[in-house]
Amino acid sequence: MGYEALDFYDVDSLLTDEERMIRDVVRDWVDESVIPKIENACREGVFLDEWRQELGGMGILGAPLKGYGCPGLSYTAYGVICRELERGDSGIRSFASVQGSLAMYPIWDFGSEEQKEKYLPGMASGELIGCFGLTEPDYGSNPGDMVTKAEEDDDHYILNGAKMWITNGTIADLAVVWAKLDGVIRGFIVEKGDEGFSAPEMKGKHSLKASVTSELVFQDCKIPKDRILPGVKGLRGPFSCLNNARYGISWGAVGAAQSCFDSARSYAMSRIQFDHPIAAYQLVQNKLAWMLREITKAQLLAYHLGVKKDSGEWVPEHISLAKMNNVDIALEIARVARDIHGANGILDEYPVMRHMANLESVKTYEGTHDIHNLILGRHITGIQAFTREA
Amino acid sequence: MKVAVLIKQVPDTTARISIAGGSVDEGSISKWTISPYDEYALEAALKLQSESGAKVVAITLGPQRSSKSLIDAAAVGADELIHVLYEGTSGSLSLQGALAAAVRKSEADIVLAGKQAADTNSGSTAPGVAQMLGLPCVGLVSEVKAVDGNFVATRSTSSGMERVSVNGPCVFAFDKGDEELRRPNVRGIMMAKKKPIESLSPADLGVSMEDGGVNVESVGYPPEKPAGQTFQGAASASEVVTKLREEANVI
Repeated sequence: MGYEALDFYDVDSLLTDEERMIRDVVRDWVDESVIPKIENACREGVFLDEWRQELGGMGILGAPLKGYGCPGLSYTAYGVICRELERGDSGIRSFASVQGSLAMYPIWDFGSEEQKEKYLPGMASGELIGCFGLTEPDYGSNPGDMVTKAEEDDDHYILNGAKMWITNGTIADLAVVWAKLDGVIRGFIVEKGDEGFSAPEMKGKHSLKASVTSELVFQDCKIPKDRILPGVKGLRGPFSCLNNARYGISWGAVGAAQSCFDSARSYAMSRIQFDHPIAAYQLVQNKLAWMLREITKAQLLAYHLGVKKDSGEWVPEHISLAKMNNVDIALEIARVARDIHGANGILDEYPVMRHMANLESVKTYEGTHDIHNLILGRHITGIQAFTREA
Repeated sequence: MKVAVLIKQVPDTTARISIAGGSVDEGSISKWTISPYDEYALEAALKLQSESGAKVVAITLGPQRSSKSLIDAAAVGADELIHVLYEGTSGSLSLQGALAAAVRKSEADIVLAGKQAADTNSGSTAPGVAQMLGLPCVGLVSEVKAVDGNFVATRSTSSGMERVSVNGPCVFAFDKGDEELRRPNVRGIMMAKKKPIESLSPADLGVSMEDGGVNVESVGYPPEKPAGQTFQGAASASEVVTKLREEANVI
């Protein structure tokens, strides 16, 4: 039985023909290259290198960026790509989010002409993998107090410090690292092999197992002066990247939820208990109807946010709402889907428990669920409640 | 060199088919796609494009919706697109006549097509078009290459692989090819949007759709499969083995 994407309100009819063609290409790729391999990749804890090559080959990395070999698609198309990838696995979507929104985007927006020409074409084609170093072991929701710092030393910068929870870190050819230079947060490009730089992989995850998560360690890491991103100072730099990645997540979560719904519906129709398919029982129908309801709302939220991103009429709070809501309902849908699958739901024969475990990470990364509530709280009241200080 | 590929839009193999009034209810089909054997033909044409510099012209015949299959062909690299726009139904001779006229108009040197369409399964288009164009037809090929001014096709026969050389224009009908149709990339999809489709009616091509030749009278559902047989207990093993050997012919 093939995958049937739930689209109760036919929201995809609002897409352009090209956006629908891109959707079909990515959806077919997920069917052929992700679904048959994902469970094994999760067991082994690897991100398959063929995925990197094929994502690059499809030309979808850095989707909304224009020029320098980048695809130049709409933000809506970028969202659709994230949704289809995450229908396969949040780890695959994470790879694309980090590559496009967190590594390519800052070079594209804040980099020098030379930096753009040097890195972006290879990153768009998948030849070069990027990662993004902001979070530190002791500074997650509060990146402004980061301790990683850069110092000028003749014709070089010297970086010292450590980053943690860095998707793609160990496999990355370059890292966009945020560090304080004279107390001001700046972006630096660190290349694999730079003196004093290492990226050990973090092991033992119960979530995003087919995605590489790493530490980035800088011990008197020496990089040339032309590796600083000239175009931005302060937290605005990393936050602009996060806005784009969070936007993609709001679509991606819909894909994970659609996958869980598809599996739950088909399981409920075929699982016989007390002589009838369990789909014939009111309690199960109630769960399926609730899933359909929440997915439909999330789809409309993601689509309209895409329209706003494309027209430029958006504020970061719009993204906070969509990221928070859509991941929240996707996680709950994964849990309810697991429940409908009964004991079978814990097996990797079905995608639901993998999505559930993945979504626990997705709920926390790129601004935790609670932080997004605080962003909205500040928007509503004008009073920030992140810190205890005024 | 110019290579014409005949492409038919058919219901996706996953689409549910319903029949109303002796014909397939097309309105109920949710997903259409390029017929799989035509995809092998298209992939072979695209290889001639990359290896021998051929121009690829994709030709389809059908209603407005079938232009999607031309856009799909453009997304993977077809250079020119011809749509013989015909909303009605007709017999195979008329359809072949219209396709042959479109091939003639395209000035293609060779024609690649699937050996049969996934919906009608008739297998008459490639040889029919060849006959109308006065060209030879090589059937059941899996590969066509341009070698020293000739076209060399590979076909599988009951005794092995056969290589066939053709020294002039020809129609090749594709069986399952060696490679699946390549996946389009985003750049191809965005370029496909800009590629013009030459839309022609049968009348534009000087073809009448009246004289159909072979017509499909009606279609129906296949007979229902008989219920399966159930065997229980170790004692039934010898009976199951006998049936598997003599009725199912699988052991």
